[in-house]
Amino acid sequence: MTFLQIRGLRKDYGIVTAVRDVNLTVERGEFMTFLGPSGSGKSTTLYILAGFENPTVGDILLNGDSLIATPSHKRNIGMVFQRYTLFPHLSVGENIAFPLKVRRLPKAEIDAKVAKMLKLVRLEGFEDRKPAQMSGGQQQRVALARALAYDPPVLLMDEPLSALDKKLREEIQHEIRRIHQETEVTILYVTHDQEEALRLSDRIAVFSRGVIDQIGTGPELYANPATRFVAEFVGDSDFVDCRVLSAQNGRADIAIGSGLTIRGVPMHGRAAAGGAAALMLRPERLSLARGSVGQGSANLAATVTDITFLGSNIHVAAAAETGEALSVRLPFGHEAASSLSRGDTVSLGFDPASAHVFSA
Amino acid sequence: MLLNFDRLGAWKWILLGITGLTAAFLILPILFIAALSFGSSQWLIFPPPGWTLKWYAMFFADPRWLEAAGTSFYIAAIVTVLSVLLGLVASFGLVRGRFIGKEGLRALFLTPMILPVVVLAVALYAFFLRIGLNGTVTGFVIAHLVVALPFSILSITNALEGFDKSIEDAAVLCGASPLEAKLRVTLPSISHGLFSAAVFSFLTSWDEVVLAIFMASPTLQTLPVKIWATLRQDLTPVIAAASTLLIVITIALMLLVALLRKGLKS
Repeated sequence: MTFLQIRGLRKDYGIVTAVRDVNLTVERGEFMTFLGPSGSGKSTTLYILAGFENPTVGDILLNGDSLIATPSHKRNIGMVFQRYTLFPHLSVGENIAFPLKVRRLPKAEIDAKVAKMLKLVRLEGFEDRKPAQMSGGQQQRVALARALAYDPPVLLMDEPLSALDKKLREEIQHEIRRIHQETEVTILYVTHDQEEALRLSDRIAVFSRGVIDQIGTGPELYANPATRFVAEFVGDSDFVDCRVLSAQNGRADIAIGSGLTIRGVPMHGRAAAGGAAALMLRPERLSLARGSVGQGSANLAATVTDITFLGSNIHVAAAAETGEALSVRLPFGHEAASSLSRGDTVSLGFDPASAHVFSA
Repeated sequence: MLLNFDRLGAWKWILLGITGLTAAFLILPILFIAALSFGSSQWLIFPPPGWTLKWYAMFFADPRWLEAAGTSFYIAAIVTVLSVLLGLVASFGLVRGRFIGKEGLRALFLTPMILPVVVLAVALYAFFLRIGLNGTVTGFVIAHLVVALPFSILSITNALEGFDKSIEDAAVLCGASPLEAKLRVTLPSISHGLFSAAVFSFLTSWDEVVLAIFMASPTLQTLPVKIWATLRQDLTPVIAAASTLLIVITIALMLLVALLRKGLKS
């Protein structure tokens, strides 16, 4: 049986539809991330899971049973919020004990559990502190301990690290990974940060304007984006306008500008022959050669507009003949890059099979 | 800072002088009354020719004064409890509710603060005359509740607006029912607002005189009404003693609020 299943979820606020057609299954112990910009419906979906919102249509099944009719406080779900939500008048220990006291567990059991949770989030010795005396990162770790104290089957996390600075964020991402591995709890994690999603998740659901564009592992989304939105949101990408000459079996032959034809590029979406489309190129998948290489099968002529040294990488910005801005990432010490300067004409090569065409 | 106080030169002394005069203007009448209450002159001569506690002894020896003080305290206590309870539920509606006319309702709840008290007193008197509430504790409590509620609603809505609803949501997901979450998490978190509401409600009733004069009967009088009535009959320093006691309790409560605020901040 599927562990957690979201079926045909839809939520309307008046005439505005926040999410629609959300279908998703999550396996026990999986780390699933909802990735998307603000307003894409990822948080709404999470809030429906928590029971703070009711879906207009659709169902949520946990171990085969519907959760919709169960009020939030009886769902036994854990949640860590975007904002700091520790109870300000209670100490750290009392915060973690709160869900256990509500469940009227014996005191000895509560004390043992609180000690265990403090150890899990590595905050032993902090139980008598008040939340106001803790840093933001520590508060979120206590919130995590509180949400896990009652062994919930599912843990929801709504952008829990967005208020923290970059270094602390990475540190706590490691903690979350470790805690996920130690507890084997199923986690549904909401974020707009692709790097965070890639670092943490087993699978990622990419939300865009209220629907899930694609669900897959990080490498799957990166290598095989289903829509232009996913391509833009996961990894860096540039787009070049093109025309579809012919398309069949998921591959297309395309024409760029006046003369260049590229054959056999993976095609997404539908486009009739002659239709407008966009060719997606990843900066790290482009090769760079000095001068023009004539009319090769997969070479774009471009003019260098800027060169930036970024430590292990050199970032070359270039303008394609057709006007689009492209970027190329080269390893430090790359032969062609060493003597490159602005205004140089270069040839950008790529493997058609690793590029993608999206119909416009 | 824009204005550096230490670099103002002569202006510094002028500012200090103005501040001192303003403070004196506010405090001197109170000090004057307090001084008279300890003065030995029966005719309230200032400066007092000698010092005595005689007027306080007379105050505490006279059952009519004690009864009035007791009545004041009793009414203020009931007003405080009702004002905080009603203020609390009203504030939840005003802060958390989503309905048309919310801002209008909020303004309506605060009108007793700007309405002339005497207008309110006349209206309530005429109304209570019909339903027989004049001269009763119930009448007193309702009248004082009308003027105390705005302070209560103001303090509690302020505290509730500063409280992140996500914290209550977290308690609910932890397994607490919505009511339990409010009692165990939200109320303790806004306790400073509840306390301010209680103190201001108490003080509003405790030293209110206009409504009280209309509501009072010969057998039911609050301390301010008793002071007022005594003042019209005979001028005795016992009035000064009663006034000083009234002020001392007010100041004590205000200090308590100030101390508690300071305690919360540190």
